Amino acid sequence: MKIVYQDLLRFLDKQPSKESLSMKLFDLGHEHELNGDIFNLELTPNRGDCLSLNGLARDLKHFFGKNDPIAINNDDIEELNFDFKNLSPEDCPKISFLEMEIAENISEYKPYLENYFSVIGNNKVNFFTDVSNYISYELGQPTHCYDKKYLDGTLVLERIERSEKFLTLLGSHINLSGENCVFTIDDEVINLAGIMGGEKTSCSNETKSVVVECAFFNPESIIGKSIKYNLNTDSAHKFERGVDASSQERTLRRFIKVIEDHTTIKNMKIKTFTAKEPPKLTLNIDVKKINSILGTKIHENDYLNFLKDLDFRITDSIEVPTHRHDIASQNDLAEEVARMVGYNNIASKPIELISKPQEKNDNSKISFIEDYFRENGFNQVINFPFSSKNNAKTVTIDNPLDSNKSNLRLSLKDTLIENLLYNERRQKDSIKLFEISNIYTKENEIKQHRNLAAVITGRKGNSPNNFSKKLDYEYFYNFLIKKIPSEAFEIIEISRSNLDTKKKDKIFFVEIDVEKIPNEFSLIKDKEEKPISFKKYEPISEYPSSIRDFSFLIEDKSKVDDVIEALQKIHDKDIKRTFIFDLYQDKKNKNLKIGFRIIFQSSTKTLSEEEINKKIKSILKPIITLKSVSIPGM
Amino acid sequence: MSPLDDKDSPIILKDLGSLHPINQIKDYIVKILMDMGFKSVDGPEIETEEFNFDMLNIKKSHPARQMHDTFYVENKANLLRTHTSPVQIRSMLKSKPPIAFTSAGKVYRKDDDSTHLPMFHQIEGIYVDTNVTFANLKDLIHKIINEIFGRDINIRFRPSYFPFTEPSAEVDILSESGKWLEILGCGIVNPIVLHNCNIDPEKYSGLAFGLGVERIAMLKYGVTDIREFYKSNLDFLEQFK
Repeated sequence: MKIVYQDLLRFLDKQPSKESLSMKLFDLGHEHELNGDIFNLELTPNRGDCLSLNGLARDLKHFFGKNDPIAINNDDIEELNFDFKNLSPEDCPKISFLEMEIAENISEYKPYLENYFSVIGNNKVNFFTDVSNYISYELGQPTHCYDKKYLDGTLVLERIERSEKFLTLLGSHINLSGENCVFTIDDEVINLAGIMGGEKTSCSNETKSVVVECAFFNPESIIGKSIKYNLNTDSAHKFERGVDASSQERTLRRFIKVIEDHTTIKNMKIKTFTAKEPPKLTLNIDVKKINSILGTKIHENDYLNFLKDLDFRITDSIEVPTHRHDIASQNDLAEEVARMVGYNNIASKPIELISKPQEKNDNSKISFIEDYFRENGFNQVINFPFSSKNNAKTVTIDNPLDSNKSNLRLSLKDTLIENLLYNERRQKDSIKLFEISNIYTKENEIKQHRNLAAVITGRKGNSPNNFSKKLDYEYFYNFLIKKIPSEAFEIIEISRSNLDTKKKDKIFFVEIDVEKIPNEFSLIKDKEEKPISFKKYEPISEYPSSIRDFSFLIEDKSKVDDVIEALQKIHDKDIKRTFIFDLYQDKKNKNLKIGFRIIFQSSTKTLSEEEINKKIKSILKPIITLKSVSIPGM
Repeated sequence: MSPLDDKDSPIILKDLGSLHPINQIKDYIVKILMDMGFKSVDGPEIETEEFNFDMLNIKKSHPARQMHDTFYVENKANLLRTHTSPVQIRSMLKSKPPIAFTSAGKVYRKDDDSTHLPMFHQIEGIYVDTNVTFANLKDLIHKIINEIFGRDINIRFRPSYFPFTEPSAEVDILSESGKWLEILGCGIVNPIVLHNCNIDPEKYSGLAFGLGVERIAMLKYGVTDIREFYKSNLDFLEQFK
């Protein structure tokens, strides 16, 4: 909701600066952005009462005092004999109608009305609708205007359940379906109650006779409809969050006043239909309870003054104002008091948790499994559970994000294979991934299983032991069998023939129900806590990488540690990774060879051959100048 | 030629893998909470409306219950839990105060854009005993945030709204760039929720809090795009060894 700073000031006694107003709104729980003079507020759903200048000013009264700058018409107004039937009083317990005729059509708006459109940037529609929107901004109560000449017959408010086309006043066609609360004439829908009126009875700039409807709709009757029909209207937003159940006639009298500011009203009549008065809620005065909730020592007088400033009526009990649908208990009152005191002004009090001793649970087994995979070079992934595949056991989503994601996966396989192919496309030639996630199956009831799945392909690893070997069945089996009994797992080879890839390395996959992994897994060794590292993440380069391999010849074996140390110190902003992939001893010649790989990648560009060669020269210089170290052929 | 005998010496780095950064942060925070005395509890990701909403005082008219926010499954018979709170409800029903539970795990919302994912992780905590107050909540939240973000971090509380807590608060920390960042929601457990869990609200009161793991992970690691966590990109994952 957008509110103009100067407009809000008119409703306040003191005139706080924008900054202090902004700070206070935050302290009261009203998040917002401030752009120039406009507060763009995102109110919590329980505070529908603050969706207007008047509503926000009510909440700020304790700090800045409140003005009532709104002039209303106080004349005795003749009762309207209006042909209306309320067949759905539970949706709409109270509704008022104002009928009026104006002397001439309006082309020029008074500054306060004009500003509402020019400063906030709202679009004008026609005079009566514009006044209706403006009053909703001031008072938070929506109204709807019908051109009287199109209201021919009994206006009926009813709940219908039928499919029907409905043309909105903005000209869009809606297919009504399911149950809807609507206004009809002769069984034809002319207004989707509380959401948007219809084109057939809408006002135009030529309208002179108008019927203004002002209702209290139950939030439950409105909620979900604006999303369902994609009609994101201000009135739907306000009715969903609850308007003041006793403000209808005052709003219409304000409507009259704004019209009178612009033209002469030739005649007007008003009528309120009350099926049920809003219930009056009272709560006990119990400051002790408030202090026991907050952990404070607030004096009763201060407590009651806070509430009075928030429009609560204090007698021998506390009467909740009709606009506060969010207040029903002492805890609700405690929050009001805390807001007035300021959350940040309530002193903290230490608390010792009295809890029962911790038992070992399933999570410790998971943690050991995770560590075993990590220590052996596997990287953990987490995937979304949505899938396009289904069978008789699949749990299906009623309202998926899209039709390819309408089932919950029955296996972790497909997403892990996707992860593998994704990384192959990114030039990865040694891939070991694992995931531990729940899967769901449906038979008579929905069952949850926690599965562990892992997939491998490519080189065994980067160390000299592994570099030239491929990940294979034997490797996978030997890795798993150390911890998991053979009957609990089955390694399968995934054929590449159905996959979108030209790579040849074999892919092996395993998926195991965690329950079938023995609990002894976690007893095999005491877990060493690996402290968490918060090293800052470096954004991933989207430029290609270049690989360079070097073979160092070390003639003096005692120098090997120096060389390895020097290699491990190599650092450059354009080097993504380095590792020793080979280490050989020539027993005959008593010399050593070290195979070393540098992967270059810049975060800002594709590196040219010259740039890489230049870098190599300066990087390798301190190493090849070491005594008895050389790169044959360089 | 033959391989060198000491080629597995510590000087040559072992090919270690990595745990997912979200799991690392989740486990790190759960451990902080367990050290404070919270017991870690688990629950199903497919929930009922009763446990995900009704028991938590989230009324039928609440926006969160609409089809556009929640994934319903099997003709609305069940749903993907939208928060980890139902785990606490299930645990409270099985226990008598004093109780201190923490639950962590995946939650689902019908969202998918640059800042919202359809699946993310939450950690929640609840403590119920006699005489638990808002002042106690503030103290505990300060301690948790200090553990995660250090002693010097600036913290502010703002009123907010959650149907299951009253009063409710959102907690911001002041970033190095001088911006307040929302990191945690908390409050005094709504007596209606205690009553729903067969705990006498006249005798007992509780505090509860919940935080988003991705948000904390982004702040701690300096990740700016939440979607990076779920691309399964080894260039990303290997940074969290």
